[in-house]
Order: sequence, then C-alpha cells, then structure tokens
Amino acid sequence: MFDFQGVLTWLIDSENWQGRYGLPNLVAEHLSLTLLAIGLAAIFALPIGLGIGHSGKGGALVVLLGSASRAVPTMGLLFALVMLLGVELRELAVVLALVAIAFPPILTGAYSGIRAIQAHVTDSARAQGLTDSQLIRHVELPLAMPSIIGGFRIAWIQVVSTVVLAPLIGLGGLGFGIIQGLALRNFEQVVASALLIVVLTVFGDQLLGFAQKSQALRLESSSGGRNT
Amino acid sequence: MNWALNNIELIVKLTLTHLFVSLVPLALGFVLAVVLARITPASFAPAVTSAFGAIYAIPSLALFVSLPALIGTDFLGPTNVLIALTFYVISSMFFSARDAFASLPAATVEFARAQGLSVSQRFFFVELPLAIPGLIAGARIAAASTISMASIGAVVGVRNLGYLFLDGFQRRIFDEVFAGLIAIFVIAIIVDISLWLLGRALTPWHRSSRV
Repeated sequence: MFDFQGVLTWLIDSENWQGRYGLPNLVAEHLSLTLLAIGLAAIFALPIGLGIGHSGKGGALVVLLGSASRAVPTMGLLFALVMLLGVELRELAVVLALVAIAFPPILTGAYSGIRAIQAHVTDSARAQGLTDSQLIRHVELPLAMPSIIGGFRIAWIQVVSTVVLAPLIGLGGLGFGIIQGLALRNFEQVVASALLIVVLTVFGDQLLGFAQKSQALRLESSSGGRNT
Repeated sequence: MNWALNNIELIVKLTLTHLFVSLVPLALGFVLAVVLARITPASFAPAVTSAFGAIYAIPSLALFVSLPALIGTDFLGPTNVLIALTFYVISSMFFSARDAFASLPAATVEFARAQGLSVSQRFFFVELPLAIPGLIAGARIAAASTISMASIGAVVGVRNLGYLFLDGFQRRIFDEVFAGLIAIFVIAIIVDISLWLLGRALTPWHRSSRV
C-alpha cells in the first residue's frame, strides 16, 4: 500500500515551506494567476454576455463558442500561445491562454441566465417604465445571478486545472510538485501536491456553489417561489 | 502543415491511442451513469450529485497521480487515466441522466406497466429509448471534454495526441503542437457528430431532432 505517512512527513517538512518553490509561494502563484485570468475574462465576458442575452442578437454564436471551446485541449492552447509569443513573454502568454479558457463559460453563464428569464417578467418591467440599463441592472442581472455564478464555477475549474500544467512551461504553481516529483520519482511530493490541488479546487468550487445556491434561494423566497 | 504530412504515421498511431483512452471511459462512464441515475433513490440524489460535482472539480493531472496512492496502481501508464476519465464522464452525466429519466412522460410509463411489462422490460423497451435524447445530449458534452482532457494523460506517460504538445514544445516545433490541437479538435467533432447520428438512429420516431 502507498506510504501516506511519507506524504504527511513531506507536507509538514519545513524545508518544503520555504523559498521560490516553497508551498506558500506556489499557492500564491497558483491563486494569483487563476484569479487574474478569471477577473480579466469577466471584464469582457460579462458585459458581452449580458448584452447579447438582453438584445437576443448573436446568441447562436455564444452557444457555438461554448460547445466548441470544450473540444479545445487547454494544454495545447497554453503551449501554442507560449511558443507564439516566445519564452521571454511566457507569463503574458499564460495569462492570455487562461483568459481565453475562462471567457466562454462566463459568457455562456451570463447569456443563458438572461435568456432563461420569462418574457412576461421583462415585459412587465418595461411596462413599469424601466429603461434598458435599469432593466439590466435591477431585473435581468439579479435573476441571472445563479447562472452567472455557474459560469464562474466552470471557469474556476478549467483555469485552476490548466495552471496545474504551468510548470511544464517553466512557471510555478502547485503543479510544480507533481511535475518535479514525477521526474525525480519522489511520489510523496507528487501525492502531497495533488492533495493540496484537490483541496484548493474543491474548496473554491464549493464556495461558488454555496453562493450560487444562496442566490437561487433568495430569488425563490422573494418571488414566493412562483417565478421560476 | 509539412510537419503533419511528414509525420502522418505518428499522428495516426497517437490518434488511435487517443481514441482508445477517451472512448473506453466514455462508454463505461455512460453505462455507469445511467445505472447510477436509475438506482439512486431520490433521497440520496442531492448527496450523490454534489459528491460527483466535487470529483468533477478535481484537476485531471491531480486525479491521475492521486489514484496510485488510493488503489495501488503504477504512477505512469494508462490505467489511472482510464479510471479518472471514467469518473469525469459519470460526474458530468449523472445529473443529466437523472433529468432524462425524470422527464419521461408519466402516462407512457404507466401504460407500459398496465400492459404487464416487467421492470426490466419497461427499462429496456420503454424508459431507456425515451430517455435517449437527453442521454445523448449529456454524452456529447462529456465526449468533447473527455477527448480534450485525455491529452493531459501524456504527462503521465500515455502516448496519445497530447504527446505532440510535450514533444513539440520541447523541440520548439510549433507545427507539431498545432497539429495536436487540430487533430484533437477534429476527432472531438467527429465523435460529436457520430453521437448525434446515433441518437437519431435510436429514436426513429423523433424525426425533427435538433443538431
């Protein structure tokens, strides 16, 4: 059976907590790359998704992009961009690749959240005299919130998983322990790193899932549960 | 383009391995998801759904290298990749499979029961055929992500199309990486169309099925 004691020993060894490839540094690197990419993607994807959902024009394109993007291997996209921009610019290339990976799910989440709102809801809001921007801010955005967070959940999973591969192109992040450990046949390091990655990703996903559920519950209670 | 033409034999070989390590988990995962969706009692369904949701959130490379510690397989080689991808397929399909069975027309199922069909007859001749459109829709989503995710198996020594990424990057051959991207995208689309055609063939009463 596998030596779990060794994994634990590796995890509490203070040597693995220091320096450039120490765990705090790798976690910080992993998180900052992930959050930067998701944030940048959201700046573009949210307004576009809300706009397309609101106007109804270009919806087919969103659906196409959403399904086509699933067939693009993130590892290939990452490597190709680093090679195109050159190894000196690899940090920029990685961020660009991650933004490209986070963009489709956030876009699709915003778009389908708005499309799922029933016409009588938006019609009655318009009849009340709401302008387009008021309608988006006070009606469509809150109603689409669970779906928008759902898009962020998928983006989180995709981007965090791709950052795991960053050591293959000479960057850090928690995947470092897997890649180095496999090369050196240090399997305690491999499993310990994998364990930390699992904890980080599942925790982030559950956090977003919790936010998604509480938004959905809030909508249900404020509409008396009828307006689903 | 030249690179791909000069190395067509390698690409074909890698493609076959790639199809093997993605289609086997897809088929296994499909059957297991259908079985689990059918036998999980309603009171357990939310718990099972969130458990699979958590598995789905695990990055593939982390899952590939965690399995040896859990079940004693070798760190390198296809076994972990096959098992991990099967889990992802089940995770991605469980919810849609439950949904497909939950939205069957109740009257039809009742009618089958009234006709005296046994549980297994009802399942194979009434419920499963009627659930096919929903199941195929779920399988198409799972297929695309499984085929693209399988490439990460190359990092743990599975020589599939992902090998072109690793090798091309190390040897600074952009065309090799690009060939890998295109090949994976193309087989994902071919499998997607095949699944759509399969769904149509299995539901001849639905002649207006959507793309």
